[in-house]
Amino acid sequence: MAVTHHPLPAERAVFWYGCNLLRHGDVLRLTARFLEAVGVDAAPRGGPSHCCGSPTEHNARITEGMGRRTVAAFNATGREKVITWCPSCHMNMADLMVPETPAQFEAAHVTEVLWQRRAALQKLLVRPVQARVLLHRHAGFQPRVAVNDLVSNLLHLIPGLELVAEDEALPGHMCSALAGVPGALAAAHEANLAAMARHGADTLCTIFHSCHREAVALERGRAIRVMNWVHLLASAAGWEFRDEYKHLRNAEDPRAALDEAALGRIGADVFTQLMEPELRRKPVV
Amino acid sequence: MAEACTACGACVQACPMTRFAPGVPEADPMQVAGGMRALLQGGEASAVSLGWIGACTRSAACNPACPEQLDVALMMRFASMRARGALGEAPGIAVKTDSGWSARVKGFARLGLTDQEQAEWL
Repeated sequence: MAVTHHPLPAERAVFWYGCNLLRHGDVLRLTARFLEAVGVDAAPRGGPSHCCGSPTEHNARITEGMGRRTVAAFNATGREKVITWCPSCHMNMADLMVPETPAQFEAAHVTEVLWQRRAALQKLLVRPVQARVLLHRHAGFQPRVAVNDLVSNLLHLIPGLELVAEDEALPGHMCSALAGVPGALAAAHEANLAAMARHGADTLCTIFHSCHREAVALERGRAIRVMNWVHLLASAAGWEFRDEYKHLRNAEDPRAALDEAALGRIGADVFTQLMEPELRRKPVV
Repeated sequence: MAEACTACGACVQACPMTRFAPGVPEADPMQVAGGMRALLQGGEASAVSLGWIGACTRSAACNPACPEQLDVALMMRFASMRARGALGEAPGIAVKTDSGWSARVKGFARLGLTDQEQAEWL
């Protein structure tokens, strides 16, 4: 990777990407690459072994144990900062984990870090991206980290990209929460589609992984594209990527769209029983 | 925080999710909020209050609405955990468990990450 002049000193951190970003290896890898490129030595850590406890909130004892294990693991790295991706992880860290297990690090969201280091970031964003973009914004995380504003600011660094005037933010902190309430996710998607039509937007830009997971199927039968903000930054940097989750989710037959080598790595049983039902799920709108 | 809550119902009135919670738009906001407070104090909540708690998606619109300046979003979070039986009580809200979650995300990791990335990053 090319050496870049950084106005801010280099720092060592953990990039805590959470669990469900593992569905989007491209976003994870690109984010880690951006952090490195702006001068952060950020070791990616995540998956079930670094869980914030969200999936087990019906059992406080297990939630607490998982949080304690994760904070202890981050303390053991000796790194001074943990850079979060997931809003659930970020809020759980502050609300549930650190009050139980004192942290020897500070936490910051990845959008805060990239914006803080925007001088280095902007030097990478040299390729125009012709897109008229509606930002898919939720209300819930914004009071903790002004993520809607930060991503909007980051997108404004991209030459050629046009961000349309934005409507009121959607309820919830991300789409996985809405998906659990009958009717709520469909209403959010319909609101986004109506706003895109109203503003003539051709691209819906997701901020969080679960929103991306739920929104990519909106491309089916519509002349729009759904991209994550990291995809748009990567396009401006000229970095190649392939949104494999979107490719499979929108394939007529996800099994047929998966190459044999990938199926071999995953395991046929895991794909058939655990992944394929999600990829074949009917879109809510 | 529950002790400081007056169950005024401002949080319910500010909530963007009430339209997705059956019975809540027609209910008295004070009674709906009172159920949440009761749950946090170890009591029981009405079905309508449980419906509101179950529809919480962490929008945080309740916080600026609270005249007591309480972190209502966090109170709702704890109420939700309690209503799902986190402390061992019988759940008042159905618990959705996903026993395949860990294996599923690891399957996606094998799809999207190299062996080296999995070894170093997971």
